Amino acid sequence: MAFSATLETTSNGIAKISLFGELDASTAPDFKTKVEEAAAGNPKRLVLMMQELEYMASAGLRVLIFAKQKMGSSVDIYMVGTQELPLDTIKKTGFDQSVYLLDEYDAAKIENV
Amino acid sequence: METLTLAGTLDSLGAIAKYVMEAAQSAGLDKKACYKLRLAVDEIATNIITHGYEEAGLEGKINLSSDLKASSLTICLEDTGSRYDPYEMVTVEAEELNKRLEERRMGGLGVYLAIQGVDQYFYERVGEKNRNIFVVNLKIADS
Repeated sequence: MAFSATLETTSNGIAKISLFGELDASTAPDFKTKVEEAAAGNPKRLVLMMQELEYMASAGLRVLIFAKQKMGSSVDIYMVGTQELPLDTIKKTGFDQSVYLLDEYDAAKIENV
Repeated sequence: METLTLAGTLDSLGAIAKYVMEAAQSAGLDKKACYKLRLAVDEIATNIITHGYEEAGLEGKINLSSDLKASSLTICLEDTGSRYDPYEMVTVEAEELNKRLEERRMGGLGVYLAIQGVDQYFYERVGEKNRNIFVVNLKIADS
């Protein structure tokens, strides 16, 4: 299954990237491009909509490190609706200590900046 | 399953995943074990392509084979890139996994996930070839 990523920026400074399909080293550059686009708008928070992402390799995790280092530590990263198996990878590599994991998009939590 | 030979480029990762998933399914692995095996092979194939071929200025193929036995499924990757022993690479330590993202370095996660993803993982250099072998133990149903 192919990969795609779409970026949406809200008026209150939330950059939301929706990920679809399979994220490996061949598709991670597309994700990185979206993160760079998002960073250019100096967002307050980065939200990754993960419901439709079926697979994620370490190349995807490296883009998260890149995002954090590019946007700065004050920009919190939220991952929404991450599927079970990609979630295993996130936990096994300790990324769950640096991102907020939510089951569903929670405007009250995310947009209350 | 028959062997599969692909170009040593990132475009081949999709076909590698498909081959591994088919082998895993024919071995009767559950969804989680399939995913972990795919991830392990994908991570090492990515390293072969990016470090063994691209960064070394080399071109070549990746050869995939699988061997299904009653007690185990073995996937083997062979390439002719530069010598690349994942165990000699700096692999991540537990301390690194506890660091916040802003303090992390980029490398080592792939090898860590590969080793974690299967029951046994071996690397060997055979002549001019690298060989990476992944073994998943199969649960024998109680009769």
